[in-house]
Amino acid sequence: MSTNSEIESIAAQWLARREGGWSEAERAQFEEWRDAAIAHRVAWVRLEAVWQRAARLRALGVGLPLGQIPAPGVWPEIRPESEAALTSQIIRPSDLGEVVVQRGVRSRRKRSMLLWSASAAMLVVMSSVGWWRFSEVDRASYATTNGEMRSVALADGSVVQLSSNTQIDVIYSRRQRHLRLARGEAFFEVAHEPTRPFWVEAEGRRVAAVGTRFAVRLAEGALRVAVTEGRVRLDGGLRESAVPSTLLAAGMIAIADQEGVRVRPTSSKEMDDLLSWRDGLLVFRGTPLVEAVAEFNRYSAHKLIVDDPAIASIPVGGSFSWSNNEAFVRVLEQGFGLHAERGRTETRLRGDSPEADKVREGM
Amino acid sequence: MPSKKKTSGFLPAGLRIALMYDSMENALDEWFAREILVHEAALTSYLLRRWPHRDDVFDMRQEIYIRVYEAAARELPAQPRALLFTAARNLIADRWRRSRVVSLEALGEIEATNVLVDEVTPDRRLSSQRELRQLVRAFDRLPARRREVLWLRRVEELPLKEIAERMGIAQKTVEKHLADATRDIAAMVLGGSDCPLPSIMHVKDDIHVDQLGD
Repeated sequence: MSTNSEIESIAAQWLARREGGWSEAERAQFEEWRDAAIAHRVAWVRLEAVWQRAARLRALGVGLPLGQIPAPGVWPEIRPESEAALTSQIIRPSDLGEVVVQRGVRSRRKRSMLLWSASAAMLVVMSSVGWWRFSEVDRASYATTNGEMRSVALADGSVVQLSSNTQIDVIYSRRQRHLRLARGEAFFEVAHEPTRPFWVEAEGRRVAAVGTRFAVRLAEGALRVAVTEGRVRLDGGLRESAVPSTLLAAGMIAIADQEGVRVRPTSSKEMDDLLSWRDGLLVFRGTPLVEAVAEFNRYSAHKLIVDDPAIASIPVGGSFSWSNNEAFVRVLEQGFGLHAERGRTETRLRGDSPEADKVREGM
Repeated sequence: MPSKKKTSGFLPAGLRIALMYDSMENALDEWFAREILVHEAALTSYLLRRWPHRDDVFDMRQEIYIRVYEAAARELPAQPRALLFTAARNLIADRWRRSRVVSLEALGEIEATNVLVDEVTPDRRLSSQRELRQLVRAFDRLPARRREVLWLRRVEELPLKEIAERMGIAQKTVEKHLADATRDIAAMVLGGSDCPLPSIMHVKDDIHVDQLGD
């Protein structure tokens, strides 16, 4: 019988083998091993948990040149004492703000602070050349109105698709690609450029990406990030640096609001549904009516209102063109027997016809 | 919002990480990683304080995990941490009995550890940022080659073949470094120690996956 230490060793070898790309036979062999004893399974789960957690190291790789393993200890972002090193490593919006707005002051102050720091020699050089790195080379703003959708090609080859009622501000510099989602939702296809981080700021958070595709959406004070390809890092509040970062891989959705960040994996089908607006469609599968209505309202000046709590949570399904909420209303009338009261600027939805209400009141 | 299927609410950091275990098909595995492994540092220090032989601690910890997993497979406990430490207490008691050096003093102390369970509250609410810092600390303590391999695989996601070419070593060697790196990180990150427990460091890895199926 193997000792626990040997078992762990074997589990680790299986993990490494998997990473090396194992054959179906090897995989089956592994599963057989894993299921043979609780001791095996436990050792495996433990290492797999750590392996998954180690993925968080990627958060530190964002923006670093590929193929260079950072030396031990050079982690500016998590070592407060070397905060100044951020200009040379990972850029934080708080720094950017200061550098852009008070460039001269910042550089001078930084220099005097750094002179007595042992590791400062290189950083002084960095900060003195820092200003041009951050100098803005391209700045633009793009917006859509209700019911409008727009695709924008950016200078670096990245493409942004703006959903209805959306605004983004683009601030490109030599050193980084900074975008701000002011409202609405946008889908980003990021051109791969490892030396120039691409990040989207929204609702006091930022989403950093390298060569990837993802959508960012702002609604009711919450930020939703859906990653379809590659990986992105969702950083916490810009104001409090203590808020944690979250790493998102393809197929994951994060919803960030004042409470915190919720992350969950999603099926590719659900992901397609979430992003179907890019094809002019809204797709619902058992979605509560009130949410479906909120979704339509993002795309139209003519608002739908659920005027009856009894119907708010009925599940609705189907694909609809977001430009035509009237079609959706008709389906609700015909398929669900709901009553729609059409006004000039809004349509109210109720469970029963007013006549039925009257009858009920009369009873 | 399509988040109705999983009514998750706000998740603490540990749970959030747990949701990323998409490769763990088994819900019990996921539960185990989420509810039990987070206490490993507390459990390890508990064992180190309760048991005089440091070299046994790694083995004892795995024994405890096995017992907890078996118990949870029968019925998920309402209080995982309590179950874990009860298992730890029982195992220590078993070992004392087996060692035949019946120390009433030690057993008495064991009974009193009900109180201590709370004292060793694990740092569950370890912030995500602290968790990352801890991970990086462990990463930085890895021997150079293991560190390099782990970075190239986990961060840059290079195929092992390519890593082997870059480093001028065999792919088998890369696998070995990767396996060792994972074990080291596990010991340091989960176990909360600055270096692995003795039994890990001294193990001779002479069992290989290749020989397993035979």
